[in-house]
Amino acid sequence: MAATIQPPRTQSLPTDKLIRLSNCLLPVDGRLVPGSLVINSTTGIIVSPQDLFYDSKLSASSTVDLGGRLLVPGFIDVQINGAYGFDFSDTSKSDDEYAKGLRELNRQFVGTGVTSYLPTITSQKNHVYKKALPHLGPSARDPSLGSSSLGAHVEGPFLNPDRNGIHPHHVLQVPKDGLHSLDAVYGKDNLDKNIKMITLAPELLPPASLPSLPSTLASKNIILSAGHSTATYSQLISSNINMVTHLFNAMNQPQQREPGIPGAVLSDTSRTHYFGIISDGVHVHPANINWAYKSNPSGLCLVTDAMSLLGLPDGEYTWGNGESIIKTGGVLTLKGTTKIAGSCVTLVECLNNFMRYTGVGIAEAIKCVTTTPARMLGLEGVKGSLSAGADADLCVLDVRSDGSVAVEQVWKFGVKVFETSGRKGIRPGVVEQSRL
Amino acid sequence: MKLIVRDSKQQTSLWVAEYIVDRINAFKPSKDRPFVLGLPTGSSPELVYANLVKSYKAGRVSFQHVVTFNMDEYVGISTSHPQSYHSFMFKHLFQHVDIPPSQIHIPSLENYQRYDDMIAKYGGIELFLCGVGSDGHIAFNEPGSSLSSKTRIKTLTKETIVANARFFDGNIEAVPKSAVTVGVKTVMDAREVVLIADGRGKAEAVRQALEGSVSHMWTVTALQMHPKFVMAVDEAATEELRVKTVKYFKDIEREQGTPKAKL
Repeated sequence: MAATIQPPRTQSLPTDKLIRLSNCLLPVDGRLVPGSLVINSTTGIIVSPQDLFYDSKLSASSTVDLGGRLLVPGFIDVQINGAYGFDFSDTSKSDDEYAKGLRELNRQFVGTGVTSYLPTITSQKNHVYKKALPHLGPSARDPSLGSSSLGAHVEGPFLNPDRNGIHPHHVLQVPKDGLHSLDAVYGKDNLDKNIKMITLAPELLPPASLPSLPSTLASKNIILSAGHSTATYSQLISSNINMVTHLFNAMNQPQQREPGIPGAVLSDTSRTHYFGIISDGVHVHPANINWAYKSNPSGLCLVTDAMSLLGLPDGEYTWGNGESIIKTGGVLTLKGTTKIAGSCVTLVECLNNFMRYTGVGIAEAIKCVTTTPARMLGLEGVKGSLSAGADADLCVLDVRSDGSVAVEQVWKFGVKVFETSGRKGIRPGVVEQSRL
Repeated sequence: MKLIVRDSKQQTSLWVAEYIVDRINAFKPSKDRPFVLGLPTGSSPELVYANLVKSYKAGRVSFQHVVTFNMDEYVGISTSHPQSYHSFMFKHLFQHVDIPPSQIHIPSLENYQRYDDMIAKYGGIELFLCGVGSDGHIAFNEPGSSLSSKTRIKTLTKETIVANARFFDGNIEAVPKSAVTVGVKTVMDAREVVLIADGRGKAEAVRQALEGSVSHMWTVTALQMHPKFVMAVDEAATEELRVKTVKYFKDIEREQGTPKAKL
């Protein structure tokens, strides 16, 4: 159920448990800098080194030596449909079973380095939203729960039938009454508490509600994202919508006289355009990813768009609407077609692909899974950040010889919740007493 | 007194930093006999600190046995506020050097009444580094402050508040209305005072300090009564001085030399 989020205490008290993560490389202004980070395990927040320095009553009670590895903010995935066999859109089971499956997913999923995410529901009949969304609102502030929901992402059902991807036509709707249509489909309560992002095709909105809808939703802290859309360049520019769902997929491609949504997102500098992009090596050509990043580096949010098949063996699987999906390695297709049906890669694989496609180093690339999605969601300095006062959601990364990274440890709200076991040549974190 | 004139702000601050490094090293501070240093904030000291940090990193000086007393701090903003002098000192000096936090003192509402006693307990300040305001104030001892004042709370003048608004996003309401500051007497009690001033904006204050009469309207003039006072300025800050004054002090420096006369 949706938990009310209490603003956490940012000031450390002498009774709090402080941990120093030392001997690590931190991304600072796009470079890796040797240093350490002190976290408050009681409040789950990153401690200001200045407070620690001046306040003689505060000191780190233990030090964890990270052996020179990378310490980065925990990853944020704003588009993921499920994992480990659990599909956020599948409400065929009882409420209890849904809740149990979701809890299990969160505990496993955090091991992929994704410490916060937007559980994403594809286009569904109305009753599915009413049943699933109350489970998918922001998670309680508790490290033992694993990965946190920051609120749900509803991708549909207000999508353009011409760019439906694998969303079945019969569940798509037209938001002819603007906000009222959204209320009717998702439920007012879900809009108020449980939804963080809505993907819709802006050209379907009645002209009267297009200009005001993004700001109305923004006042509820909901991000409106354009996607599965035939919107033109000028329709997007004039729409007040600042986010685009999986750029290049399920939209008109740039043409010489009609640059479309990609042209708008990648060329317009009059405001910040954020966009999700799937760098699984299948959905978008590497050159397009490189082009997108070079054109608008501060807007790029890597997303997996992963399906519940993530982590399951190859074969044929039934999707929520009764259709079949074929999983062949990392590729998912709708049975009997060549249509791509979501991905089943982890975000760290997307990050590694992204670095290979663009030639960008980890210190800069990491922003695409941390700082940038956090800023897009209005959570700058709270999530995806190593600044004092931010949530201590962290990943320890090992850099392999080919420059790619692997998740070694995950910390959630200042508590270590995941660690790879028995890797050769890596010294496990040593906890020892230390002075300030 | 001594006047040291250097061509630029960079050279002036380098001279001051080198002077402090030499004084600390010559003192041979130990756990039982620490070097007690008075410290200011502001744009002129910022560069001095950058040079001190460089010297520390080059292994030429240690702050292990240095005890510091800062001159002033705002009242009404938290110590972690980016514009607090706690933040300034942490950012520019303390986080970069080996000074133990327990040896740092910054005046506050809690400690200001004992501040001069705390200094006395360490045997007084060995060297007080100072800046100077364009109206001749040292620390927050603005015009009209008693020349025998000790550490206390001072209400800031409208002029200072307006001038400081630039550090608070231009919002006058956000600027603290008072500060705790050491007194003129606190500075005078130090065994040595080194003052740094640069730029044309400080030229009139420099003139008053050197050629003016002792007056509480230019509190910096009190330092004329100090037995060991060194003033380090750049050329621009000498522009209101008589040529004769500048020449006299340059001659003296040539004759006597300074610890790092080559700088």
